[in-house]
Amino acid sequence: MDALFAVKYSYLIPLLPLAGAIIAGFFGAKILRGQSHWPIWIGVAASAVITFSLLFGMMGLWHDGKPMSVSVNWYTWIQAGSFKATAGAFFDSLTAVMLCVVTGIGFLITVYSAGYMKGEEGYFRFFAYLGLFIFSMTCLVMGNNFIMLYLGWEGVGLCSYLLIGYYYERPSAVAAAKKAFIVNRIGDFGFGLGIMLIFLTFGTVSYFGAGVGTHTGVLELATLPIDQLSQIPHVNASWVPTAMKWVPFLLMLGAFGKSAQFPLYVWLPDAMEGPTPVSALIHAATMVTAGVYMIARCGTLFVSNHAAMLTIAAVGAFTALMAATIALRQFDLKKVFAYSTISQLGYMFVGVGCLAPVAGVFHLVTHAFFKALLFLCCGVVMHAMHGDLDMRKMSGLKRILPKTNWLILAGCLALSGFPLVSGFFSKDEIIGASFGLSTFLGVVMLFAAFLTAYYTFRLYFRVFQGPLVVVPPPHDSHGHGHSDEHHNHEPMLMILPLVILAIGAITAGYINFPATHLGDFLGTSPSFSDSYNMAVAQSAAGPNLAEGMGHVVAAETAHGPQISLLMIVSGLISIAGIALAFLLHLKNRALGDKLAEDFGPITRLLEGKYYVDEIYQALIVNPLHMIGEFSYRFDRWIIDMLVNMAGWIVQLTGYFLKFSTQRGYLQGYGAAMLLGLAAILFLVFMH
Amino acid sequence: MTMQFLSLQYYLAVGAILFVIGLIGFITRRNMIVIFLCTELMFQGVLINLIAFSQYTGNLAGQAFVIFVLVIAASEASLALGLVILLFREKNTLDADAWRDLKW
Repeated sequence: MDALFAVKYSYLIPLLPLAGAIIAGFFGAKILRGQSHWPIWIGVAASAVITFSLLFGMMGLWHDGKPMSVSVNWYTWIQAGSFKATAGAFFDSLTAVMLCVVTGIGFLITVYSAGYMKGEEGYFRFFAYLGLFIFSMTCLVMGNNFIMLYLGWEGVGLCSYLLIGYYYERPSAVAAAKKAFIVNRIGDFGFGLGIMLIFLTFGTVSYFGAGVGTHTGVLELATLPIDQLSQIPHVNASWVPTAMKWVPFLLMLGAFGKSAQFPLYVWLPDAMEGPTPVSALIHAATMVTAGVYMIARCGTLFVSNHAAMLTIAAVGAFTALMAATIALRQFDLKKVFAYSTISQLGYMFVGVGCLAPVAGVFHLVTHAFFKALLFLCCGVVMHAMHGDLDMRKMSGLKRILPKTNWLILAGCLALSGFPLVSGFFSKDEIIGASFGLSTFLGVVMLFAAFLTAYYTFRLYFRVFQGPLVVVPPPHDSHGHGHSDEHHNHEPMLMILPLVILAIGAITAGYINFPATHLGDFLGTSPSFSDSYNMAVAQSAAGPNLAEGMGHVVAAETAHGPQISLLMIVSGLISIAGIALAFLLHLKNRALGDKLAEDFGPITRLLEGKYYVDEIYQALIVNPLHMIGEFSYRFDRWIIDMLVNMAGWIVQLTGYFLKFSTQRGYLQGYGAAMLLGLAAILFLVFMH
Repeated sequence: MTMQFLSLQYYLAVGAILFVIGLIGFITRRNMIVIFLCTELMFQGVLINLIAFSQYTGNLAGQAFVIFVLVIAASEASLALGLVILLFREKNTLDADAWRDLKW
């Protein structure tokens, strides 16, 4: 009942943050000023209340044995010929979980932002963008068709661009914003093509059409065999095999761009130019997980395409490993966590690619907690260190930031997969699933987990433990020095949201362990159950690869002893990583530095981030610049010249006419008109 | 009562005469007010043509049209005279040639 109530008013979920954004945007500059956070707080809090009542209502229905998945249409948005897109939402367990992550963590971060952004230039602008982001992101996860998904997809991309470029007077921020937007366009191009191909093949863009079980939406049509599809008039059955081959790859391209996977991950580290709450909300907890959500939602389009599933798993694993190695030698706190985010997103892709979307979404939820926490802690450090985040310049900060010390420790434990903390369970499920697909993949993921534990605690031990070293305040000549002793670096407005996030980061794992509550709940989503059934049917039919996948499905649902053994192994690996970091970065820092020296070439390769940016610059950006330069010069000197020539000829003619016919005598003009008219009449009547 | 109408040619002749008087005046005079009056004369010549043809074909549209033209001509006349006054104030003369430099 409660859930239905929330569904009835579901349109408020995106609209309230949007209204907040409009109020903050239009009245923030002059009227609200330093109070501009209120419309966003209220809007996001209200929509969080609705989403949580939706989630609890749906869980209640599920306990009663009546799991709900319902599609609501608010109105017809676009209607052109047979193409129809409605503004509407689809509610199932996946939507509810995603919505709660977006609005719940979104709310905590808006609260934190009010403390963090206090006194910044353009305070209202920040909150207006934040509200717009929540609007777009909720549209993305609750839309009931691909066009709504695309709307949200582009909307979050826009907000990401705006917020990365928030400090627009800094050229590096502008460059980073452009980079994020352009790299995302590459992925979105594929994504757009995929949606077009879906429409041309299935004749609809709706997920579940008239409702679950009616087989009128794309995601259910994809489960039907081809001879049944050819009975349906709006389906172009002859295209279906081609579409099932290519659509996953096209959609995947969009997911790789948005979720920062190789080779499109390069924008995310640069995106750290934005304010820290933005890094936490958009570039760690929510937006970058849109790709994972999309693949989980469209599972039925992917499952039957083994090549696509393998590609997702392989790209995810490669990205997880590569980004983890880069994170080993980064010195900027936010950069470390940015590469860590890329790496953890790689884990989620391995999850969905190994047919364990539940594990992927589980990791998405826990990651949202602990990574948002870690970024926000970075924000506290950044404030205390006068904007400097270079970990070589600081040490032992637990003395001046005692609360943050405990909070970031909770986040680091979760990220490194320390036993019995949230990241441990979710990462473990993914590693288990990857062992089901191939042992090699599983070992790679375990190794990446080791690296994760090591680089996380390298950061923690370097920055928060050891002797106290702080960044001196910048010597600004006009300095109205607010002395550090009297300045509170840990205001309650910033610490309270962190405490909630830290509790989540520690305990979120227990929603799916030991009892698989989250898994069972998500299993009621038609996206998950349909793709599960498809996979089971395929593994029953038998050829090599499907067997492995079917095995994963079985393992995921049964939680056999294999997983328990794996838990011990991955727990030990995490502790080993932490121990190594303890040895090299707290106990004997000189040894750590010396080791880095001894492996000079490797160290430099990692510090240079494998020179991927430089390679892109040389192979893609520079050639494009040259083409642009050439086009510019061609346009400027050839085309413009021709156009201007036409103008010059007329001007020149006019100049000479001023001395001959256009002399300025009114009577002269009259006589000329008369003669001209006479000449025309003469010509006309001669014929 | 029967009405005896003159044939069409007379009307057209009057119209043409009015038009040509206006035209000659427009080309030969330099006083801005007179030039303006001459354009009005040309107007009336044309309007007489309209009425004559309207009468001749029995179609009242021409006459209705004339009313519109007259109204617009009246308002345009007031505007033009206002302009002439402004121009006069600027140069203290009504000679149109005084404004030759406008071509630059």
